[in-house]
Amino acid sequence: MKRSARLITILVLTFVVSQTALAQIEYERPVDVAPTEEDIGEGYVTPAVQRPLPRSTLLNITDTVLLLGAMGISAWLGLVRRSRTGIVVLAIVCAVYFGFYRKGCVCPIGAIQNVAVALTDPSYAVSYVVIAFFFAPLVLALLFGRVFCGGVCPFGAIQELVVLRPVQVPRRLDRALGLLKYVYLGLAIWFAVLPAVERDFIICRFDPFVGFFRRTGPAYMLIIGGALLVLGMFIGRPYCRYLCPYGGLLAQLARFSWKGVTITPDKELDCGLCAESCPYGAIEKLRAVRTSCLSCARCYTACPRERAPAREDASAESHEATG
Amino acid sequence: MNHETTRRELLGHAVRGAGLLGLGGVAVYLTAKADDEGVWVLDTSKCVNSRLGATGIEACELCATSCVRPLSAVRAINDFEKCGRCYICPAYFDVTSAVDENGLPSAKLCPRDAIKREPIGWVDPDDPANNFYEYTIDEALCNGCGICVLACKDPSGLGSIRLEVRYDLCLDCNRCSNAAACPDDAIDRKPLSRAGAPQRHPAS
Amino acid sequence: MQRGASGEAEMQYRQVRVISGKGSRPEQFTTTLRGIALDRTGGLYAVGNSEVKLFDADGTLRRRWPTSKPGHCVAVDRDGTVYVGQEGQVERFGADGKPLDAWRDGERMGLVTAIGLTEDDVLIADVRERCIRRYDKRGRFRNDIGKDNRTRGFLIPNGVLDLAVDADGIIHAANPGKHRVERYSLEGKLLGRFGRFTGPDPRGFSGCCNPTNLTVTRAGHVVVTEKAGPRAKVYDATGKLLAIVADDTFDQNCKNMDVAVDAQGRIYVVDTVRLHICVFAPVDNQAASQPASAPAEGAAKP
Repeated sequence: MKRSARLITILVLTFVVSQTALAQIEYERPVDVAPTEEDIGEGYVTPAVQRPLPRSTLLNITDTVLLLGAMGISAWLGLVRRSRTGIVVLAIVCAVYFGFYRKGCVCPIGAIQNVAVALTDPSYAVSYVVIAFFFAPLVLALLFGRVFCGGVCPFGAIQELVVLRPVQVPRRLDRALGLLKYVYLGLAIWFAVLPAVERDFIICRFDPFVGFFRRTGPAYMLIIGGALLVLGMFIGRPYCRYLCPYGGLLAQLARFSWKGVTITPDKELDCGLCAESCPYGAIEKLRAVRTSCLSCARCYTACPRERAPAREDASAESHEATG
Repeated sequence: MNHETTRRELLGHAVRGAGLLGLGGVAVYLTAKADDEGVWVLDTSKCVNSRLGATGIEACELCATSCVRPLSAVRAINDFEKCGRCYICPAYFDVTSAVDENGLPSAKLCPRDAIKREPIGWVDPDDPANNFYEYTIDEALCNGCGICVLACKDPSGLGSIRLEVRYDLCLDCNRCSNAAACPDDAIDRKPLSRAGAPQRHPAS
Repeated sequence: MQRGASGEAEMQYRQVRVISGKGSRPEQFTTTLRGIALDRTGGLYAVGNSEVKLFDADGTLRRRWPTSKPGHCVAVDRDGTVYVGQEGQVERFGADGKPLDAWRDGERMGLVTAIGLTEDDVLIADVRERCIRRYDKRGRFRNDIGKDNRTRGFLIPNGVLDLAVDADGIIHAANPGKHRVERYSLEGKLLGRFGRFTGPDPRGFSGCCNPTNLTVTRAGHVVVTEKAGPRAKVYDATGKLLAIVADDTFDQNCKNMDVAVDAQGRIYVVDTVRLHICVFAPVDNQAASQPASAPAEGAAKP
C-alpha cells in the first residue's frame, strides 16, 4: 500500500513539474536580422509557433491505473466469478482501449527492450509508466497467474475473439513451438542491449498486430498479422503461445503463482470436458498447467460441476477445488 | 493438510517472496534513475537539411517516407521569430526557375504547395517589393520532406524553417521508424522536460 | 577565366593571391573575418575577431592591434586614421594603431556594418535601424540617408548593410532585399539605382537578398558580392554586367563577403568561412603584375 501511494505521489509530482517546465519555456530571438514588429507596422504581432503538447502525464497515469484495474478484473472474472462472458467483454473493452485507441503503445512486450537497455546502459532511463507496465503484469502473474493474458493484453484480446474451431496441438509439438518464444526473448534482449547506433527494437519492428491498431503499416506486416489471426481461428492464440517473449516471462512466473486455475483430482468426474474446451493446451492429464493457462475461463464454462445448480452444496468443495 | 502440502506451500511462498523481492528490487532500481516520459525530438543541429555547413546538396526527404503514419508526423514549421519575411523567399519560390513578368520566380518550391504567402503589416499600394510577407506552412498539406528547410538554411535563407516532430500526430512508437531511417541520427528520444525548448543553430 | 553574362569574355580576372587564413598564427584569424579596406599605399586592413591586422600587398603581416569589441567593418582615411565599426560604436585608431577615440551615438549606431569616408564626412551604415548616417570628422551627426526612401528604406534580411563612397561623394549602397544597388547624395537624396531579381541569370541578382557587399572603383564601376552561390561581379555605372570575377572560388557557406579594390583594379574579396582574402587581378591588365606604387583606393576617398 505504502509503495503504491509513494508511486502515485511521484507520478503526480512529475506531472505538476513537467507542466510548469513547459510553461516557462519561451522563445528567444537569436537572430537580430528578422524584421521587428515596428518595422512591419500596422499593429502586426509576431505569431507564436503552435507547438502541440505531447500526451499529458495525467493520461499516462490513467493508462496505468486502467491496466491495473483491468488485470484485477481479469483475475476476479477468471478465478472468482469464473465468467467466460465477463472475460469476453473485458477482451473487447481492452482491445478497443489499449489496442485501437492507444494503438498498442506503451506495451509490456516492447517494454522488455526498454528495461533491458535501462539495466545495461547507464545513460538510458525509462519512464515510470514503462516501469509500471512492465512490472505490474509480472507481479500479478506471481500472484494470480497470467491474468494479463486473460483479456487485458490487446494482442491476446483480438486473438481471443477470433477463436472459432480450435484444434488441440499435439503435446510434443506444442512444447517445441513454445520454446520459440524464449528464443525470441533472447534475440530481443540481444538486439536491444547493443550500443545505441546499432540498437534495434525488433519486437516493435516485427509487431504483427500493431498495423491493425494503427490502421496503417507496411504490407508485409499486415499480411503476417492477418495470417496469424486466420491461424488463430483454428489454433488458439498462436502468437501468445509460441511467439510472445513477454509470455515467456509470464509463464515462468505463473509457475509459482499463489492463486490460479486448479483442477482438484479427487473431485473431478474424469469427464475431460475441461481439457477438450481448453484451446491452449493448458490442461494436461486433467491438471491445469499454470504456465500455459491464459485465464480465459472456458474450462469453468465446460465443467459440469461449475454449472451444477446447487452451488451451496458444492461450495465448500469447489472452494477447495480452486483455492 | 499433511506435511507434504505444508512444505510445498512453504516452498511456494518462499519462491514467490523471493520473486516479488527480485522484481521489486529491479523496479526500485529503475525508478530511482527513471526519467519523465520521453518524446521523439528532431535535433536540427544534426538534421542535414538544417545543420549549417551542408550546402549544395539535395534535400534529405526520408522523414516524409519513413513514418508509420501515411502522412508523416514530422512536419516543417516556420519559426516566425526568425523569419526574414522577404519578398522573394527561397523556400517559397524556386529561385533557380525563370523569372516571370512580375519579376518573381515562376515556380514554387514545395511539391505539395503547402506554404502560404501573405503580405503583412503596412502594405505599400505601389510597390509589392516594399512589403513584408508572412510565410506560413499549412500543416495539413506538409509531409515533412524538408525541401523548404534546406532552401531556407543559412546562407541562402535565415534558417527559420525547421523540421519538427508534431506531438499531436506522433504515435510515440517505442521504435521510431523515422529515427531508425535517419542517416544522421537526428531523431532521438528525450525526456519531456528537456524536449520543449526549440533547438538553436550554432551562432553564425 | 571567367566569362561575362552573354557568354563572351568581357573582362576577366584570375586569382593571384590569398592573404591570411584560419588559425592561431599572428597573420591568421581564429573565428571571424568580416571587413577589409585598402589604404593609399596598397596596405590591406582586415578586421575579424577583435583585432585589426594590416597586411602588405604581398600578404605579409605588417602590424596588428586589438579592438575593444569585435569589428564588423573598417575604413582608412587619407591621413591614415583607421575607423572600425562595431556594435554600438565606431572606434578610431591612429596610423600606428594607437586608439584615438570611440564614437557612440545611442540608437543611431546600433550595429555598424560599413563605413565610408569623404574629405569632410564619415558615413556609417547601421543595420539595426537599416539606415546610413552622416557624421562630420569630429563625430557630430549631420543627417540620415535612405531611411525613409520609398517609405521602407533598406531591406536587409542578411544582416549587413554595405556602402561605398566614390570620388564625387556619391554614396553607393546595397539594398539586398530589393536586389539592387542604390546611389544617394550626401544629403540623402536618391540619385539612381540599378539591379533587379533575375533568378538564375547572372546579369541581375539571385536568391532572397543580394548583393550583400559592394565597392566602387576609380572608374566608377561597382564591384558587388553575392551569397548563396557566392560570387563577385563587376557592373558599370548604368548597371550593365561587365564581369563575373569569381563564382566557384569561395566556400559555398560564405555570407556577406566584404570587397575592396585597389588602384590597379585588383579586387579583394573576403571568404568568410575560410577566413582569408582572395585577391583577383584583371587578366589583360599589365599593371597587375607590378608592385603597387600608385595611390590605392578602397572604401576611402584618396
